[in-house]
Amino acid sequence: MKRFLLFALALLVGPLAFAQNGGELRFCINSEPKTFNPLLAQDDNSEVIRYLTAGVLLRVNRITQKPQPELATGWKVLDGGKRIRFKLREGLRYSDGTQFSSADVAYTMQQLMDPALHSTTGDAFRSAEGKVTAQAVSPTVVEIAFPAPVANLVNLFDTVAIVSEKSPQKETATLGPFYMAEHKSGSYILLKRNPNYWKKDAAGRPLPYLDSVRLEIEQNREIEALRYRRGEVHLINTVSPAIFEKFTADDPSLVRDAGVSSDTEQLWFNQSPTASLPDYKRAWFTSTNFRRAISQAINREDMARVVFRGHAKPAIGIISPANKFWFNSKLKPHPYDPAAAIKLLQQDGFHQENGVLKDRGGHAVEFSIITNAGNRPRENMAAMIQEDLKKIGIKVSVAPMDFPSLIERISDKLNYEACLLGLVNADLDPNSQMNVWLSSADNHQWNARQKTPATPWEAQIDKLMRAQSSSADNSKRKQYWDEVQQIAWEQEPFIYLVNKDTLVAIAPGVKNAQPSTLRPQTYWNVEELALK
Amino acid sequence: MAALLQTRLTISYKDKTVLREVCLEINEGEVLGLVGHSGCGKSSLALAVLGLLGMKDGKVTGSIRWKGEELLTLKESAWLKLRGKEIAFVPQSPLSSLNPALRIETQLAEAWKLHQSGGKQECQKAILAALENVSLPAEKEFLRRYPSEISVGQAQRVLIAMAILHRPSLLIADEPTSALDAITQSEILDLFSHLNRKLGMSILYISHDLPSVASICDRIAIVNDGEIVECAPPQQIFFAPTHAFTRRLVAALPSMPQMPEKRRGASA
Amino acid sequence: MKALRWGATALLILAALAAIGAHYVAPAGYEHQFRESPGVSPSAQHPLGTDDLGRDRFARLIYGLRVSLILAPLAAALTTLMAALIGGIAGYCGGWVEGCALVIMDLFLSIPWLFLLITVRAMLPLNISPESSVFITFLLLGVLGWAASARIICAGTRDLLKSEFVWLARASGFSGFKLLRLHLLPNLRGTLLAQFWISIPVFIIAEANLGAMGLGVAEPLPSLGSLLRELQNVVTLRPEPWRFMPLLVLIMVVSCFQTLLNKNEVRT
Repeated sequence: MKRFLLFALALLVGPLAFAQNGGELRFCINSEPKTFNPLLAQDDNSEVIRYLTAGVLLRVNRITQKPQPELATGWKVLDGGKRIRFKLREGLRYSDGTQFSSADVAYTMQQLMDPALHSTTGDAFRSAEGKVTAQAVSPTVVEIAFPAPVANLVNLFDTVAIVSEKSPQKETATLGPFYMAEHKSGSYILLKRNPNYWKKDAAGRPLPYLDSVRLEIEQNREIEALRYRRGEVHLINTVSPAIFEKFTADDPSLVRDAGVSSDTEQLWFNQSPTASLPDYKRAWFTSTNFRRAISQAINREDMARVVFRGHAKPAIGIISPANKFWFNSKLKPHPYDPAAAIKLLQQDGFHQENGVLKDRGGHAVEFSIITNAGNRPRENMAAMIQEDLKKIGIKVSVAPMDFPSLIERISDKLNYEACLLGLVNADLDPNSQMNVWLSSADNHQWNARQKTPATPWEAQIDKLMRAQSSSADNSKRKQYWDEVQQIAWEQEPFIYLVNKDTLVAIAPGVKNAQPSTLRPQTYWNVEELALK
Repeated sequence: MAALLQTRLTISYKDKTVLREVCLEINEGEVLGLVGHSGCGKSSLALAVLGLLGMKDGKVTGSIRWKGEELLTLKESAWLKLRGKEIAFVPQSPLSSLNPALRIETQLAEAWKLHQSGGKQECQKAILAALENVSLPAEKEFLRRYPSEISVGQAQRVLIAMAILHRPSLLIADEPTSALDAITQSEILDLFSHLNRKLGMSILYISHDLPSVASICDRIAIVNDGEIVECAPPQQIFFAPTHAFTRRLVAALPSMPQMPEKRRGASA
Repeated sequence: MKALRWGATALLILAALAAIGAHYVAPAGYEHQFRESPGVSPSAQHPLGTDDLGRDRFARLIYGLRVSLILAPLAAALTTLMAALIGGIAGYCGGWVEGCALVIMDLFLSIPWLFLLITVRAMLPLNISPESSVFITFLLLGVLGWAASARIICAGTRDLLKSEFVWLARASGFSGFKLLRLHLLPNLRGTLLAQFWISIPVFIIAEANLGAMGLGVAEPLPSLGSLLRELQNVVTLRPEPWRFMPLLVLIMVVSCFQTLLNKNEVRT
């Protein structure tokens, strides 16, 4: 009987046993984190540390894209987005043993909103002039009030690490699955399992399964790939299509295509009135017909298939279908149709002479595309555009340049004609697009920092963006944002080219991985990851 | 008879004086030997007379009179007309003094063209005449050779031929035989006295080798310690030297050299 | 050794012929994108397969070779000319002229000229055609690459000026341009030729370096350099040996030039 019981126990534990071996998960970050203070984390590498160590009130599930409870068991948005109340878990302890209570949340918010701290995480909450107040209503209830409604309020807490008010270790005491144990500058960072972590698996076993996470500092992506191939590291969050292909050829289980991402690759024309462009060129670039014609003359399907070997989808608009809630599903892909492109151009007085496209004034249509040198996919996309546009009589020169020179040209000197770049959309919420779509914004690349909107459609977008930003009602916000997407689709100030797939590498020995298109793609559920 | 060349010069390099108040006189048709230890400043004197000392950072003071005209105040352009045409130079090491990249013919022709204007035929004629004078084969085949393809003796003859192309009034020969073997040496010495006699060229013959100088010179000037200690016909130098240095020089000779017969009334 | 030289010459001629006749030899235009077959292995249609964009690698190699083989010698000639002029004049004049020239040469040698190239290249207008971009790249290489050669020429001139045949030439009345043309240049020819031959592979490689940084030839025109960029991801390259063809061809061309260069050095 006793023996039978043991056997039964083994059966029960068996499937979970592998997940309990502990072990050390290793992956690379590309440079030293700028800060270990989770409230100040801004660069990618500091965010990695924050994600792995910090406890947060709630977490946006990277698969469902919906918030789910963490330190808070529930929350309620009050006063139309001006106030939020959290109900907290009881009996939690920081990694150093300090008790967690609502006072810590209040303290965190107070620290975060301290203007002297200059926290970008805090900036997201500053909806209007005035003070953000946080009040511990009871040891398990905390309320945070804002001077004006905050859009996307709930999801913002995904990045707020709750630090301890009382712990002598200050912000290094963590509520997350790991705490920082060792840091060898320029070499590695070792995170150890937080023994006080509150989460348990379905069988009631304490999480995380892993004993430690080792972050190797490695700048070179090629070497990162090589180390992965040698089994020295277990994960790569994003691999290039070339490496993906190579790994697939070696062993298909090494890599996974997690589906289309929310990142975009786009081409835009310089429409700034202060740019050093001849008037006739400015006239082309500010013409909607011209931009739409260019867009239709670009073969996006080929681009996705040739440059990205199929690991990309032709882009539709501002955001990709990967952004489940916010994507405007009424928008259709731009068709590849050179004949239609020429018709559009003819409406603007363009005509072809001996295969060369000329404008009304007889100027041959030619322009240059700048992009960042060394980015093979972008250089290849530019070369494909060059070929595609040659077919309708447009001569394109491609000028790859180092990134600083490129940034100087597009944001300061404005001495360029067209630019091909990508945009990483880490945040699903349209509010994160304010700095791109407001005509007064710095990143309104085609014509930045406008005093008054240059075109009626830009004025309309300004209005819609402000409206979505000041509302806490997501269905209303969705309507506004859908309209912005619609206008952008019609006007094409950014000619969106492709949305790349999220290509990840997860070693076959890593269990329970659920790669997502959102960051951190491979280890967003790190507490559940285990090594075989 | 007015002296062809008259010097009274002091030569110094930086702060070192190599020749002090050296007075020389060469008459028309005369062969003057200049004898002294190696490095005593004999060659500097040759360079000074050619106006090239400045190139070696040397400084000349005093006077050099050429046919009664002062040379030290001469402009470079006037010097260029003098060098090679009036005063020619035969250097010490024959092979390295020829331009290795040019054929013998080219070198002679270019040297000729420098001071003569004339057609190809005239040039050819001048070259053949010069070759004949130095007993070199006046053949096309020889002329087409490069300096690396001829012997040392031939090279020295070519150099002499080049020097006499323009029938200069004065030939300065700086140790012209020191690089040659004994037989060639005597052939070249014969050549010099032949040129002197046949063409009436004056020669300033610089050497450290007293016997060879004695065989062709009308007078010999002995240089020691930056000064000319004695200047006299060879007989006097050998049989009645007045200066102690000359005596030592003569005493060091293994045997008395052959004296040339006294040719003209050159006197000390 | 002789067979090796013949081989090298033959290979170079073959490469040059293929490059010149690229239009006839290449199976497709260098910019034509076979979008249905990107990155394929060698086949009858594409002897070296296609690149990431489906462009025929063999066609690109041949056209790239043409660009490099035509422009590198031109740039080398330009550099040699500048080196001869600047180095020759500096060495000939000596004194402060030489001093100044040496300082400028040192400056040119010590500045990271690759960086300078990048800067200059970045200042070019964006709309520049690929043909002009490659021409300008090599022009820059030619204009910036003279210093090392000029140093050698300068030293060579200085040595020559001290040589005996130049002294003799001066003593014969040669000066200025005639001296330079007849006595200095013919003797520097070997050095100049050597500099010329050395510069060719150096420029091919320099262009490759620039190309590897995306600053060489603009798309879609290929050059040996821009083709080498594909090898940058060497760590993760699939075992596709044909990808190494441009590197192989570069090594072949450079070593052929090297072999011929040795021959040239022996002759002079």
